[in-house]
Amino acid sequence: MKFKTYLAKTSVAFATMALSANIAYAACATDNLPSAQPKPDGFPARALTMIVPYGPAGGSGQVASGMAKAVSELTGISINRSHKPGGSGTVGMIAFMAMPADGYTVLEHIDDASSAHALDSSKPNPASDLIPLVTSQITFSQIYMRVGDTRFNDWDSFVKWIKAQNGRATIANVSKEGSMERVTMKFITDATGMKIQQISFDKGAPRYGALVGGQVDALFEQPGDVRTFLDAGIFKPILTILKTRPSAFADVPSLTDAGLDFDPLYRFRGFYVHKDAPADRVKWLQWAFQKGFCQPSYQKFNDSKYMNLIESYRDTAGTRELITTTIDQYREVYKTMGLKVK
Amino acid sequence: MDAFNNFLTGTVTLFSDPMGVLIFFSGVIGGMLFGAIPGVSMLTLAAILLPFTAHLSPEHGIMLFSVIYCTGVYGGAITAILFNIPGAPENAPTAFDGYPMTLKGQAGKAVGAAVMCSAIGGTVSCIIMMLATAPIANWAISAFGPPEIFALVFFGLAVASSVGARTFWKGWLSILAGLLIAVVGLDPVGGIERFDFEMPYLLAGIHFIPTILGFFAVSEIFAQAEKKARGSFIAPKMSVDFPSLAELLAHKWAVIRSIVIGFFCGILPGIGATLAAFMGYNEAVRWSKTPWEFGKGKLEGVISSETANNAATGAAMIPLLALGLPGGALTAMMVGVFQMHDMEPGPLVFINSADLVWVVFSAMFFANISILFIGYIETKTIINLLRIPFQYLAPMILLLATVGAYAVRGLTIDILVMFLAGVIGFFLRRSGYSVAGIVLGLILGKIGEQTFAQAMQMLHFEWSGFLDRPIALGLLIAGLVALLGSIYGAFFKKKRIQPPMA
Amino acid sequence: MGKLRIGHLVEAGIWLTLCLVLFIYTFEFDQEIEIYKYGASAWPRAIILLMAFAAIGQLIQQWQRGDESTSNFIVAATDDGAEEAHHSDLKWYLSTFGLLLIPFAYLRVPNWIVALLSAEGSTVHVIRIVCALILIGIFIYYMRRNLLGAMLTLPLIFAAMLEDIGFYSLAPFFIVGVMFMMGERKAKPMIMIAALIFSLLMLLFVKILYVGLPVGNIRPFYDIGSWVVTVLQ
Repeated sequence: MKFKTYLAKTSVAFATMALSANIAYAACATDNLPSAQPKPDGFPARALTMIVPYGPAGGSGQVASGMAKAVSELTGISINRSHKPGGSGTVGMIAFMAMPADGYTVLEHIDDASSAHALDSSKPNPASDLIPLVTSQITFSQIYMRVGDTRFNDWDSFVKWIKAQNGRATIANVSKEGSMERVTMKFITDATGMKIQQISFDKGAPRYGALVGGQVDALFEQPGDVRTFLDAGIFKPILTILKTRPSAFADVPSLTDAGLDFDPLYRFRGFYVHKDAPADRVKWLQWAFQKGFCQPSYQKFNDSKYMNLIESYRDTAGTRELITTTIDQYREVYKTMGLKVK
Repeated sequence: MDAFNNFLTGTVTLFSDPMGVLIFFSGVIGGMLFGAIPGVSMLTLAAILLPFTAHLSPEHGIMLFSVIYCTGVYGGAITAILFNIPGAPENAPTAFDGYPMTLKGQAGKAVGAAVMCSAIGGTVSCIIMMLATAPIANWAISAFGPPEIFALVFFGLAVASSVGARTFWKGWLSILAGLLIAVVGLDPVGGIERFDFEMPYLLAGIHFIPTILGFFAVSEIFAQAEKKARGSFIAPKMSVDFPSLAELLAHKWAVIRSIVIGFFCGILPGIGATLAAFMGYNEAVRWSKTPWEFGKGKLEGVISSETANNAATGAAMIPLLALGLPGGALTAMMVGVFQMHDMEPGPLVFINSADLVWVVFSAMFFANISILFIGYIETKTIINLLRIPFQYLAPMILLLATVGAYAVRGLTIDILVMFLAGVIGFFLRRSGYSVAGIVLGLILGKIGEQTFAQAMQMLHFEWSGFLDRPIALGLLIAGLVALLGSIYGAFFKKKRIQPPMA
Repeated sequence: MGKLRIGHLVEAGIWLTLCLVLFIYTFEFDQEIEIYKYGASAWPRAIILLMAFAAIGQLIQQWQRGDESTSNFIVAATDDGAEEAHHSDLKWYLSTFGLLLIPFAYLRVPNWIVALLSAEGSTVHVIRIVCALILIGIFIYYMRRNLLGAMLTLPLIFAAMLEDIGFYSLAPFFIVGVMFMMGERKAKPMIMIAALIFSLLMLLFVKILYVGLPVGNIRPFYDIGSWVVTVLQ
């Protein structure tokens, strides 16, 4: 009896502590998960391998590094990252699918896997051919201009200037047909009725350099990737591609403000395991990666990449829902764009 | 003298920190060793070390990479000279004259010249980098857009096309083959799959690291195997007699010319040290009174190529640090090091982390100086690799190359590409085609197509748009003149550069 | 015929055939791109046409001048053309070409068999291992007749099987194989040197530098590879 009351008391105390912690730090999505999880049959008995289908320097490389660090801190299991860049993420996916599905290999991937499947259904569907462990970054895009550009200084004057150029204005964007970036630009140009030449850059650095050097008039990007340029006062956003304004960009017009009526597409990055992996191992991995999301080191990393402006977390079911709606959304657009959907 | 004070502060910070000193010397020796072991290169080391830099402070991580960069470019010259296996594409022209010198028993002289010239080129470039990073970077970023870079690629291909080939046409066929290999994978505008031959891994494209390892390292081993098979294998002669100061002074104009070329090429994003070395070598031949001596073991060939590629190292740091724009594979990995510490190279680095920048600058300066001292000692050790019986050295080089090719992208297709390039290179070296030309075409082809597409989009598909861009126009005209000149030479001039008959 | 030889015609023929085949292949990816009117195939086609032009130019020059070196600059240091090549008769080329097909057979044939039998799970692994063994057998049988051809082929076989069998299981055999091709015949130094090279590599790359080499996707090689890595790290 006594023990039970003690337990009840302490749990109340813990709850109060948790509550005060919540006030001090923002609540984290997986705080309610247990802080330790028994290993199923000793799994993992050795280091995990994380396949990253992009190079170490880009957004995926960084999120893989941040998550691997967080999971290792949490579980004491080390994670070897193996970068297999190329083919817009398809090559790393192929290599991952060929490896034994024993749960020792996990995959980092982004929304490109969903749009690739939407365009060509022979490519793996991340919602059904893989088991999502966690989605740990969800972000939105913005349109940027160079600070000090005298030709325009906000979204309205930008649109006016672009229209006056009669299709000769330029914006730096990524290169892949049917990608989130290109589809979103299509939405924008259709909604505003403006014509703008997109310039294809498949790597980030030259894309930003083109705006710095005045080779292009504007840039399409996600805020986390150009944070340095924003903090240094070199770029400034003129449109946030979201329905509402996030707090950090309170003075930048949203889609609603600009009178653009379409559902924004998101850039999301997450971690996956092969669908044939043993269920008990998957359960442990889900716990480790979801709990890893709330490790202070990971949260700090996400904050530095503007990943705290909209909810960046989805668990397995949430990720599946996100992927499925995304694929439907893309298929719809591809039809209107006249792209061949296989 | 603001820069000088900053440099002094950087130096004091660097050498007052025991961990810093340790990392500095590990970088110097590691870069030289990996550069100098046939089959791996500084890029292998950099790819391997990248994940570890997370455990270092940002200063140490960036410093380590910049030191590896300086010494690795030098180290790659050693294998180019001793084994005809350039450690990196920028060392390929070094092998043109360096390896014949080894066969003639003048390995020490060639390596000695590489040591001296790498140190000189690197140090001068480093000094200019310290003085001029900010203004040069600002000029380059606005003056050099895609049309200019495309024009520069065209110019580079036009002047460097016949390096290493027996005839004008063979030179161009080699370059074109390289350009075509660069097309494999996704197209740079729409991400459309090209020439994948139903092998999905080919979608990643063909990387230049496995290709160069195959063409140079693997095919060299096959060639030696053939020589062994018919009993004409001769172990290269060893020598450690370094060139005298007077011999080097005789080539002072080649050195100065290569520094200018190397520095200019190095600044430009994406072009980097490879074009620098090819152009430095090419100009040396063009200005020479005895051009027929090149390719047969002429000291000036080694000097001009090694000075130019090291002069590009300091220059390549300028767009990286000032603008966050990497110029080549190794500087791209440096961006990775920055980002592992939640930093981005770029204009902010100079404001937020001026200390770091100056520690890196002074580390690069002393790395170049230390090439002089450690280079001599190391060379005397490395040269002993020539003593190992070839049947034992061969599997080691092949496996090192396997690791080297795999470590860059983690794709087994790269190993297959490497060994296939080795077989192709083995057949091509009998034929008068230039494998160095294929590699140059492969590297510049990717940049060339991408910047061409961007330029066309920017100019709204109107070729006349080049007329409004004086730098691009100038480079295109210069390239065209060079091209027409060599066509004229190939068809109408007879034996222009044959040695005078005795 | 000027100074033209049969070899020159064969050379030009190879280039032009290559150009034709690749040009036809470009229609496979001749897709329009919304924001780029030249599309995905204009650039490769331009290169292919230039290549055909250069091949014809070379033929004309060979017709006028034969094999004379006309480079504005140099004859490459790597150019062994002057030496009389020992292995250059047609029989040798054919037998080498045959050997070189073995690694590419491994990249394709097992997939065909798997598709044909619609095999799944561990049967796939068995098929791949059996194919590997058969192809290695063919290689060893023909190896002694054309040692140089075998030397050219061996690394490709190694590379083709690396993803399935893994570096850790395959490399020791590869080292021994290369030494054999290079003329080493004594078993004792071969095994000792192989062990030395392999352990040095493992020590440097796996133990000290934590490089992730391919462990192999097929059991039991996958388990062997993973075990080696776990023990060393």
